[in-house]
Amino acid sequence: MKLKSNVLAISVLVILFGGILLSSGLGWWQTESSKEAATFTEGEFAGMPNPADIRGSYTFGDVQANFGVPAEVLAQAFQVETSDPAAFPVKELEAQYEDSAVEIGTASVRLFVALYTGLPYDLTVETSYLPDSAVQLLQTRELTAEQNDYLASHTVTLDTLAAPEAAVETAPVVEEEESDTFIRGKTTFAEVLSWGVTREQIEAVLGLPMPAENLTVIKDFVLASGLDFESVKTELQAVVDAR
Amino acid sequence: MKLFGRQITLFRPRSIKIRKVVQIFFFVLIGFISINHTLAESGKGIAFLSDASLHALCPFGGVVTIYQYATVGTFVQKIHESSFALMVIGFVLALLFGPVFCGWVCPLGSVQEFFSGIGRKLFKRRFNRILPAKLDRVLRYTRYVVLAWVVYMTAASGTLIFSDYDPYFALFNLWSSELAIGGVIVLAVTLALSLVMERPWCKYACPYGAVLGISNLFRVFKIKRQESTCIACGACSKRCPMNIPVDTQKVVRDHQCISCLECTSEAVCPVADTVNYSTGGVK
Repeated sequence: MKLKSNVLAISVLVILFGGILLSSGLGWWQTESSKEAATFTEGEFAGMPNPADIRGSYTFGDVQANFGVPAEVLAQAFQVETSDPAAFPVKELEAQYEDSAVEIGTASVRLFVALYTGLPYDLTVETSYLPDSAVQLLQTRELTAEQNDYLASHTVTLDTLAAPEAAVETAPVVEEEESDTFIRGKTTFAEVLSWGVTREQIEAVLGLPMPAENLTVIKDFVLASGLDFESVKTELQAVVDAR
Repeated sequence: MKLFGRQITLFRPRSIKIRKVVQIFFFVLIGFISINHTLAESGKGIAFLSDASLHALCPFGGVVTIYQYATVGTFVQKIHESSFALMVIGFVLALLFGPVFCGWVCPLGSVQEFFSGIGRKLFKRRFNRILPAKLDRVLRYTRYVVLAWVVYMTAASGTLIFSDYDPYFALFNLWSSELAIGGVIVLAVTLALSLVMERPWCKYACPYGAVLGISNLFRVFKIKRQESTCIACGACSKRCPMNIPVDTQKVVRDHQCISCLECTSEAVCPVADTVNYSTGGVK
């Protein structure tokens, strides 16, 4: 059977787009990661979404879908001027606050969502700052004395974008976007090993043996093991930085 | 008209025009989607057009993530289910028609052909014949080295290492913050070389072309030459962008064939029904 170019062209288009339609119908056509936050695995909040899992790739709409915090509230909290707050990507906050003395970004959204919803969030793991507009909104929520104290020293005044004095002194060097050796939500054990950290050092931080497969995403393994990712991340980052 | 008892067609089209149309279609489509991806990140995307990332629309992403998917059950960073689906579709196309993705769909191949069109006018008969045959023959296998390196490094690191050197990614991210200098350099070298030879990236470095090229050994539809009617003019070999000596073969099984059909009697071959794209045996 001979095939002419016109028939080949049609065949290519039909198979290509037909295949995409078919895979779409079967639910296999996903062009982006799932925007479903990991849940707490134990305790009274078991099964509820964990604010620590909010990622830069989330939009305010994704945060709303996961945690029930309205996108408009998030936009008001972080002074985002947009006609479509739900479409605003969390990672854009860093650019919006690039003049700030301290980082206001994804970690700030995690903190805000945790305090707004009353979900657990370890304030000692990640130093986060909030603009005063966000803190004002949080005054209407029930906060503990510890949380109020934290906010008092971690509020950034939007008019001047100045950090509180205490914050400036302790402000961390922000390396997340610049360093190639920063542990993120998708970092694998293989990557950390390639940075010169030994298997023994990793297992010492984890307190349990590493998985057999080095390509396992650290966060997946940590959460599946019932550990707190932020704690592990901080300790492991310290080991990475100390090389 | 008939010449020495053979049907010779005068004024035969010199190229497969429908292929150019398909190539332009995919170039424009991928270009718009890439731009829309950038616009969508700032909330200004066009609603009816996909805003998928280039990684999500690359079938080679499916190839490099196979190991991680098989061992851990996850995809390499930035790779999604759609890459897997496209990889399967690409394999189906290759099984039937050979590396038709390279010759008809891949926008990087199309851009190289565009630059080669300029080069052909500049260098005339010397175009696409600059490398010594022996060196060229050896270099044709370097894309398998690239393939092995990319697959190994991706499996070892779990990251999409190739994107920092990928000219295809660079081509459609020239305006994006994701643009890597390595990719820009490789793209610039590729386009510069395209002025003196056809598809240099495809011939010597493309890892996805290396994968699809294997299908030339067993594809259903093959390029076949009828020796009984061939007048040995060599037009098919001269026209072949991949420098395959079609006029010396009954069936083209060369791993570099891209199924462009430019050598066939529908295009450059002056004798009707002599170089065909078909199934079945050879007379």
